[in-house]
Amino acid sequence: MSPRNGGRISRVTPEGADHDRNIDDKAISKYIPPWTTPYIIGIAGNSGSGKTSISQQIIHMINQPWTILISFDNFYNPLSPEERVLAFSNNFDFDHPNSLDLDLLVATIDKLKHGGRATIPVYSFNLHNRTSKTNIIYGANVIIIEGLYALYDQRLLDMMDLKIYVDTDLDICLARRLTRDILYRGRDLPGAIKQWEKFVKPNAVKFVNPTMKNADLIIPRGLDNSIAIELMINHIKKQLALKSRNHLLHLKQLGVDMKFEVDKYNIKILADTNQVRGINSILFSENTSRSDFIFYMDRMSVLLIEVAQQFFNEYTDEIIPTGNNMSYNGLRMNQDYIAITVMQSGDTFMKSIKKCFADIKLGKLLIQSDSTTGEPQLHFESLPANINEYESKILLFDSQIISGAGAIMAIQVLLDHKVEEDDIILVCYLATEIGIRRIVNVFPKINIVIGKLSSMEPSNMWYNKEGFLDSHWHFRNRFIDTLYYGSG
Amino acid sequence: MAEAKEVDKNVILLPQTNQLIGLYSIIRDQRTKRSDFVFYADRIIRLLVEEGLNQLPVEEAIIKCHGGHEYKGAKFLGKICGVSIVRAGESMEMGLRDCCRSVRIGKILIQRDEETALPKLFYEKLPDDIRDRYIFLLDPMLATGGSAMMAVEVLLSRGVKSEQIFFLNLLAAPEGIKAFHSKYPDVKIITGGIDERLDEDKYIVPGLGDFGDRYYCI
Repeated sequence: MSPRNGGRISRVTPEGADHDRNIDDKAISKYIPPWTTPYIIGIAGNSGSGKTSISQQIIHMINQPWTILISFDNFYNPLSPEERVLAFSNNFDFDHPNSLDLDLLVATIDKLKHGGRATIPVYSFNLHNRTSKTNIIYGANVIIIEGLYALYDQRLLDMMDLKIYVDTDLDICLARRLTRDILYRGRDLPGAIKQWEKFVKPNAVKFVNPTMKNADLIIPRGLDNSIAIELMINHIKKQLALKSRNHLLHLKQLGVDMKFEVDKYNIKILADTNQVRGINSILFSENTSRSDFIFYMDRMSVLLIEVAQQFFNEYTDEIIPTGNNMSYNGLRMNQDYIAITVMQSGDTFMKSIKKCFADIKLGKLLIQSDSTTGEPQLHFESLPANINEYESKILLFDSQIISGAGAIMAIQVLLDHKVEEDDIILVCYLATEIGIRRIVNVFPKINIVIGKLSSMEPSNMWYNKEGFLDSHWHFRNRFIDTLYYGSG
Repeated sequence: MAEAKEVDKNVILLPQTNQLIGLYSIIRDQRTKRSDFVFYADRIIRLLVEEGLNQLPVEEAIIKCHGGHEYKGAKFLGKICGVSIVRAGESMEMGLRDCCRSVRIGKILIQRDEETALPKLFYEKLPDDIRDRYIFLLDPMLATGGSAMMAVEVLLSRGVKSEQIFFLNLLAAPEGIKAFHSKYPDVKIITGGIDERLDEDKYIVPGLGDFGDRYYCI
């Protein structure tokens, strides 16, 4: 294809990116990331009953990444000026369900359940108003909703997997509350007692106590009840293990029953030139020193990044005034790039990314496999704000695609941030066929650049004349970042 | 993936992809600032060096991998030496170093003689064992080919065979290629772009201006 048609065609389509190819729609499977099926726990109980301590205990004991605690405290309705005067004189009823914005809470949980970003307001008790600050939460494996009225609204109850009520004697609650209010919140005794008698206790009896009947589990005596807490935690762990098993099983099944032809998809594989074979030889060999490994991995990375830019981008014709005042029928790239690395395997590309782009925006994702089950887990994401608004191509880097699970998760994170599937270019050095199958099965429009692709069965494909198998050491083991960073 | 083509005997042209045309559009543009010129010229140089290295022969080798597997790979053969024509050619040394860390680099200074208007050799510094090496001759522009031919002459006088020489440049004029190959047909020219012609002042058209000035001075 000639890129220069006399300078008259205003747009040049990207070479090789042919999104209109007939991809069998029936073959497309859906990936259900774990954060769209979060395990939701509601914890209710009276003020001073020990809800917060129990929530902290659960977070500590289940030790799951992406566990978030949502407190009702941030969902109070903003007060009107008149109400604020009442509040400052301890005459406003904060313990009545009407003081809460339950609709907003329901909407927030609902958004999180669908893998979207949710904005959590931050409420200030000093101002008795919402502050301009908000917290953005994206994705969760486990959501703990904690508050007086956690088990009050039917819409919330319907979304919960486990409903807990902490039933502590009101006398004990009062004692704890007095200690907390006087010691830590600067109140005086008469004021605290007045509030208890006027608002807290009547509401507790009228509204909070009856929600006990909505609970799956009632824990008397709060955190002191270690047997009940242990039983509860064991139950939660069992449920989470089941969820993680289903996730893994689902991931494994993807890509098994599909017809896979490399050229049916937007996949580019590095040409097998002498240099590429030579570099592969150095990177695979057990006799290579680390300094050589790093050097040649950097060289390989530049080759892959250049290929990634060669395809999948659109250009506009432009007449360029040259250094000697002539004109040249040139091309101007329509989009910029944003680079996202999957830590830490994708970080091996970082040096080469800097080499190829002067001022690129960078983002990071930390996805790690659970050491016992192998289930990929999203631990951390840091993406350029409003990543979808730049009209950029997103280069997603991971040096190795093994099961494909981590890459699928990374792509899903980008899609959840409203990035278009065909704007993503996944760049990897070594990939297994099963991993790539799973990825294109879920995301058929994605662009992929691969250094070396192995096969599931022995085969003699143009891209794999060596007959590399998925089960070979280089493709099955995550060795690149280990050698590159010396972390083995 | 697009691969470099031999467009004429011993003339290898980088694939003219949109991406490469895009890079050239930046460095040709007179409005491009020097920092950008250097950055994007370096990227093109990297592609030229990779293509140059690709021309070198390799030897089949069985590689012992971790975990006991074997891989029928390739071992790089032969030693390389970069020879840059001062000063513009020196801009390409970094790109060569990025691909071959400890590569030896020789220098040749050729300037136009004020009286005769012909290129004249002022200075040369080359490794002693240069005749046993593959030579990457570095000069970003092939206009008339005068200095490049003189450089080849120096190399031949040191016992290098013309088949061992690879001449890497970013932009070449058809007249230059013709003149160069009429004298040294066995030297492989590896270029990123072949322009229309030379103008009466012997500048490449449409060209990019004076490469050395834009890389080092302006």
